Amino acid sequence: MVETIVLKAEKREQAGSRYSRKLRKQGLVPAIIYGHKTEPVAIQLNYHDLALELQHHHRLLDVELDGAQEKLLVKDVQHDYLGDKVIHVDLTRVNIDERVQVTVEVELRGTPVGVSEGGVLDQINTDIELECLVTAIPESVRALVSDLKIGETLVAGDLELPAGAKLISDPTTAIATVSVVAEEAEEAEEAEVAEGEVEPEIIAKKAEEAGQGESEK
Amino acid sequence: MALMPKRVKWRKYQRGHNRGNATKGNYVAFGEFGIQSLVTGRITGRQIEAGRVAATHFLHRVGKVYIRIFPHRSVSAKPLETRMGKGKGEPDRWEAKIKPGTILYEIGGVPEDLAKRALLRVAHKMPVKCRFVTRHRA
Repeated sequence: MVETIVLKAEKREQAGSRYSRKLRKQGLVPAIIYGHKTEPVAIQLNYHDLALELQHHHRLLDVELDGAQEKLLVKDVQHDYLGDKVIHVDLTRVNIDERVQVTVEVELRGTPVGVSEGGVLDQINTDIELECLVTAIPESVRALVSDLKIGETLVAGDLELPAGAKLISDPTTAIATVSVVAEEAEEAEEAEVAEGEVEPEIIAKKAEEAGQGESEK
Repeated sequence: MALMPKRVKWRKYQRGHNRGNATKGNYVAFGEFGIQSLVTGRITGRQIEAGRVAATHFLHRVGKVYIRIFPHRSVSAKPLETRMGKGKGEPDRWEAKIKPGTILYEIGGVPEDLAKRALLRVAHKMPVKCRFVTRHRA
């Protein structure tokens, strides 16, 4: 595991999208710290350092603010429209011995038996909610799907969770299933309906006709 | 058959503008891999269908293809050799308005290299510049 670095934060004097845009141009990221029933603090972080931490899937960050260092949990990360750059981060105050609820990714492992029989592995849910110690947040939960046959579903309750973690999501939540691909009869459909012949139903026209009918009465 | 709505409020629409970036539908939600539009544009129902056919034929019914866009708007056109005037033309095709960041197609249940090759074929059918994206962000 890559060692965490101490992120140096500064308090933000202003808020708003225009100011945030200016910060991002300077290589900084606007962020906010809240939690533990204390006042929220708007801060700014170095983009490069923060991106590095997030890239290594670190959830617990060491942040130095006004000379004091504290552990903060990444609560939410906002990305830009292309999903490349981090534009804002929500950080929450935590104690080292605190248990927290986090969303963890589910990683499917193995090739299901059903796939070799002609089925398709479909991951229905990619994340689950867990409660665990803040220092023991898993990067992901691995789910072995090699025993899945066609029509079978792996549910959240079947997952092997790391020691000390408790499942918060509904245990019946479907994680992955192996289904059969329906035969496509589209070519026959194409022959039946020539393009441009059909037009959608017009709702406004219907309403107009109904209105006319009422006025005539 | 090309995609089109079943019911619409009006037959003809004004052209309008297509400003800004995608704030919805801009991440891979259903499959594992997808193609994302990098520019603004309009994709017709026929082009969407061509993309779907390109992917499904390449994959030979392995995996699952998800279409994330739908042609909601009609585009009218005047017949050939017609003088100007005499009102707006009749609906000619249906189009989806695309903003930068929109995920166009997704593929799930196949290895990355296969998905990449399938989506490259889809990208060739698209009238917008696209890129390959995965669900797992770096």
